[in-house]
Amino acid sequence: MNIIPTIGMETHVELKTNSKMFCRCHVLDTESPNESLCPTCLGLPGSLPVPNKKAIEFITLLALSTNCSITNDGMFHRKNYFYPDLPKNYQISQFDLPVGTEGSLEIVVDGEFGTVEIERVHMEEDTGKSTHIGSGRIDSATSTHLDFNRAGIPLVEVVTKPLIKSSKEAVAYIEELRQLVIDLDISEGKLEKGNLRFDANISVAHEGDKELGTKVEIKNMNSLKSLEKAIEYEISRQTKMLIAEENIIQETRHWDEKKEVTSSMRSKEGSADYRYFSDPDIPNMILSNDFVNEIKKIIPELPSQKRKMFIETGLSIEDANNLGKNKNWIGDLYRSITKITGDSKSSFNWVTGELQGQLRKLEIKDLPNWVTPKNLSEIILLVKEDKISFTSGKEILANLIEQEIVPEEFASENNLIQENNIEEISKIVEEVIENNSEVLERIANGEEKLIGFLVGQIIKISKGQVNPSVAKELLLKEISS
Amino acid sequence: MSNYKLPISKINQLFKNKELKPSELYAETFERAAITESIIHGHLELFQEENLKKALNSDKRYEKGKNLGTLDGIPIAIKDNINISGYATTCSSKMLSNYISPYDATVITRLKNEGALFTGKTNLDEFAMGSSTENSAFGPTKNPWDSSRVPGGSSGGSAAVVSAGSAIASLGSDTGGSIRQPASFCGVVGFKPTYGTVSRFGLVAFASSLDQIGPITNHVEDARLIFNSMKGHDPRDATSLIESKAKQPKLKNAKIGIIKELMEDGISEDAKKEVHKVAKLLEAEGHEIIEVSLPLTKMSISIYYLIAPAECSANLSRFDGVRYGNRVSGSTSSEMMELTRANGFGPEVKKRILLGTYALSAGYYDAYYGQALKARAMMKKEFTDIYEDVDYLISPTTPSDPFKFGEKSDNQLEMYMSDLCTIPANLVGMPAISIPTGLSSQGLPLSVQIMSPSNTDNTLLDFSESLESLVAFTEEPVINGVVS
Repeated sequence: MNIIPTIGMETHVELKTNSKMFCRCHVLDTESPNESLCPTCLGLPGSLPVPNKKAIEFITLLALSTNCSITNDGMFHRKNYFYPDLPKNYQISQFDLPVGTEGSLEIVVDGEFGTVEIERVHMEEDTGKSTHIGSGRIDSATSTHLDFNRAGIPLVEVVTKPLIKSSKEAVAYIEELRQLVIDLDISEGKLEKGNLRFDANISVAHEGDKELGTKVEIKNMNSLKSLEKAIEYEISRQTKMLIAEENIIQETRHWDEKKEVTSSMRSKEGSADYRYFSDPDIPNMILSNDFVNEIKKIIPELPSQKRKMFIETGLSIEDANNLGKNKNWIGDLYRSITKITGDSKSSFNWVTGELQGQLRKLEIKDLPNWVTPKNLSEIILLVKEDKISFTSGKEILANLIEQEIVPEEFASENNLIQENNIEEISKIVEEVIENNSEVLERIANGEEKLIGFLVGQIIKISKGQVNPSVAKELLLKEISS
Repeated sequence: MSNYKLPISKINQLFKNKELKPSELYAETFERAAITESIIHGHLELFQEENLKKALNSDKRYEKGKNLGTLDGIPIAIKDNINISGYATTCSSKMLSNYISPYDATVITRLKNEGALFTGKTNLDEFAMGSSTENSAFGPTKNPWDSSRVPGGSSGGSAAVVSAGSAIASLGSDTGGSIRQPASFCGVVGFKPTYGTVSRFGLVAFASSLDQIGPITNHVEDARLIFNSMKGHDPRDATSLIESKAKQPKLKNAKIGIIKELMEDGISEDAKKEVHKVAKLLEAEGHEIIEVSLPLTKMSISIYYLIAPAECSANLSRFDGVRYGNRVSGSTSSEMMELTRANGFGPEVKKRILLGTYALSAGYYDAYYGQALKARAMMKKEFTDIYEDVDYLISPTTPSDPFKFGEKSDNQLEMYMSDLCTIPANLVGMPAISIPTGLSSQGLPLSVQIMSPSNTDNTLLDFSESLESLVAFTEEPVINGVVS
């Protein structure tokens, strides 16, 4: 019988508000510890939390963009647990009345569309950061350093339903969520900075089983690569146990990046009681229909909408998805260019490949204003119509980035226009054949590689103006006749 | 009458007329403290030296005729669970005996803006949990009327210093009667405003949905003055109210309800007699007195002792020795936190944390905390409905006159019962005031409590002022053979 894995993802998205969730401290991007603190985010006696309006707007944007139902009369709850980097020893979070519920997100896996069901989207505050000295874990550390700069930064937790079927789907989901929060402009979306942090709940069961298997939570996956590997590892670990009829225990496991294995962190997870209750310091979070409608108005073009539009121009799902991951101006440029050239694939390749590559090499962040869809299209069309070679196209592009030129004029002035006239080329071919009888003999004896040498000669004589493929075709015709 | 027993408005007149200087009143207050404090132990810390300069500055302002407000130069005592920047905020707990606050509570900022001076920080039951100040880690406060008796609590220190004359007025906090019950025991005025009218920012939380800061004073007009200086929306407290216009109760020919359930078993004859006495005086003034029944009032202690401990169990989690306060070392961080809390909290605080933790636990939440929330909502409705019919409600403030030290500390339920009359106002959120009206058969102070609908605080104070003059209570305690 087949064994089927089931995965649920819990993702924390750090919002890019100016100030923290419940106080006016600045959200600082600094390595210097404990720089941005006040009585509230340090949990001093007598301090009180006041919710950040901007963060509520941001989470509403995200909830709406993941097709969630919005809870009009929501609430903040206290989640109680003791840990040194949690200043109040309770985290202000949401429990039974989160901002968003029952949503979904379109994803792209292996060039095909998929859907991830969202269970809830809720608002909470981040904890401080612990650095354990002498050990990876607090109870075996010789000391622990605490940095509360992060304490109180607004976090949105996005929880999926346990319906994800593979590591690839999980990765595609995180990629989609990341792109979404970047496009919504509510988070930096940088995984390496911890702007997105995810845990995976994984279980396995025999195909057709009515109930899911025992859930194991995996933590400490810091990149998409480790997410994929950790899920793969955990599925295979649990599958082996299921086949061997061993007991899988409900626990939290830690992904070891170096050893590429998961290991048990704590097994008491199942009995953790956070004693949630509504936070009496904060009135109910009323998200009126008027407020929600105002937020709806400011939703920008979403990744799924961009994708749809790119597909309509003729791109494959895969290409459309990749194009959407670029900065907005790249997509816009593509859109304008493909309209002129009428060739989506070449336009996509030129914009995402050559243009971006050259800009990156030159460390140019913004496109010079003279590089327009019009003159870029001109280059693409020159290549497409075989008027210039691909190599010449790249050269013209490089010059265009440097200075304002007209591509076609530049091509003529620099003798880059290819000779496509068969008669003209035939003359050169005949000349080359006459002058290289020895080479021809060797070719006849099987040294076919030398054909390339002869094509090179043709191009050299023509000063690069002959289309290589046309030259080769004619050459082969001559030899065989 | 000594200056420190005069209404603040009179003192302010003396200051303005240059008949008295703030520095002179300040000196007088501390002279009084020198006599009373060794017996009463109302202040945990006196700010005598550091405030003398501030008193002299106040002198200068009056000399120029540029005083900041009516409170300019008035020495006010502050309960030691309200933060004043640069001073200790101990909450009468070993946990915070070394804790210096780096910030001012909003009420402190507002009083400072008025030019008020602070005499010091006053004693309380640890983290405001108690009704006698016997739970203070730094020893109890004595009742100025009889030092073998408790001053009430938790704001026992704040009530005792006003009664004893070592402060003109004080601030207390009231979660279940912690301003009104000690005010009653010490024969002074105690006012708990509508929940949300005075900012809680800087008040160390006991039970956030019930806590409210209010004044303890010699006169109702002083309570009004201080209340109006402190009140008003505070952007740093999300539960602070934006002023709204509520329908006000009548000041003349008002209808006043005596709460039947607070005149039954468990209420002393003395206390009942006091309510009847006041009712008669009010009737003579043309007010109508009726008996009303609020059956859920009898549930108030049960509701309170689920909600308050539940909230406190989370509010007091932050005291773990990690960032501030006293720390007891351990071999791991969790052991350190456990030892710190075991060592830092007193028995009453521990008991309430345990009770609240239990009431919030999985499997018990619905039966305890959840039920209490529902009952609280029903009780609110009961009071809202009764105010459709009456303008004010009247009851004793406390079931009896002040009890002796140790008398109730062995019987916790009886101790909790001493808040029977005061808890409903916290659960409902409405304003309530305790006004001293007479002496018991033992010669100890007794008070009545008047309540009115939420957001009618100033009308309640106006009404109380007229009642105060009707009653004309002028008795004062004798301390160390010295009458104030």
